[in-house]
Amino acid sequence: MRRQIPEMFLGVGFVGIMTTLFLGLNWAPSVSIDAFESPAAQRIFYWHVPSAWAAFIAFGVLFTGSALWFFKRSPFGWRLHVAGTEAGLACGLMTVWSGCVWGAAEWGTPWDWTDVRLNTFGLLTLLALFLVLGRQSQPDGVETRDTFSSFGLYGFVLVPLTYIATRIWQIRHPGPVIGAGDGGGSLQSSMALVLLIGALSFTLFIIGHMMISMRITHLEQRLEHAQKSLDGGN
Amino acid sequence: MLKNHLMEEIKMEGTNYLTVAYLGMITALAIWTWTVVVRSRSIETRLEAVELSIGIDVAQADDIATQSNVDTPDEATL
Repeated sequence: MRRQIPEMFLGVGFVGIMTTLFLGLNWAPSVSIDAFESPAAQRIFYWHVPSAWAAFIAFGVLFTGSALWFFKRSPFGWRLHVAGTEAGLACGLMTVWSGCVWGAAEWGTPWDWTDVRLNTFGLLTLLALFLVLGRQSQPDGVETRDTFSSFGLYGFVLVPLTYIATRIWQIRHPGPVIGAGDGGGSLQSSMALVLLIGALSFTLFIIGHMMISMRITHLEQRLEHAQKSLDGGN
Repeated sequence: MLKNHLMEEIKMEGTNYLTVAYLGMITALAIWTWTVVVRSRSIETRLEAVELSIGIDVAQADDIATQSNVDTPDEATL
């Protein structure tokens, strides 16, 4: 039963993600035609915001794992690092892709190089891409893990920077719709409910994915150790 | 000029943008899940290689099932 917990998280998360899509397209109300250039495209945000939220969780896991490996030499920390990079890359790409498509519909351009939030989040996703590709192309070893962990540690600086970017330098990316801090929210309750279901579902989904990834990394390490022992390595 | 002309040509409706965005994200979810499946299969292959090198027959890896088959005669022989 305990071994099936990651699969349960993954399954419940997936059902929730699909429910979010259905509710976002069929049940959530449309936005004002006057407020948006492309009101229909606004429905992208029912997956865009939760995937960005999930990406931040993944980058938090990446940071924690990197710190645990770098300072404690924890094998568990390295597994967290691996799981965090994969989840961060997947959710980061989903966020960037959906944001670009929405930008093309709403602003007439998919990317604005002067907008801080777009660029810092893009850099975070590129960092995750570098870590995933780098780990696959480099032989596993202490030096490799130290290098990638240090990138994971320093790269995390971009997370709070991305979070506060729309509050300090709002140029094009919309400001926060929930928890804006000024007591006002532009979101209707039914839209907020769909968004909440989406955020919870994406959270469950990436937790399940990261737990499975950690299990696989652990199995890979055990197998490698067994193969080395058989070959007379140690 | 040409760019503006092309942008006008490929100007899409909001629902088309919506479809493109969601299809891209569904693809990302599928690729992500597929990489996990590939890693699982890779472990399976490597496990078989280890079993082979220490002389375990993959078909007889399930000790309980093998023992059960020995204890219970085949229905056809009854």
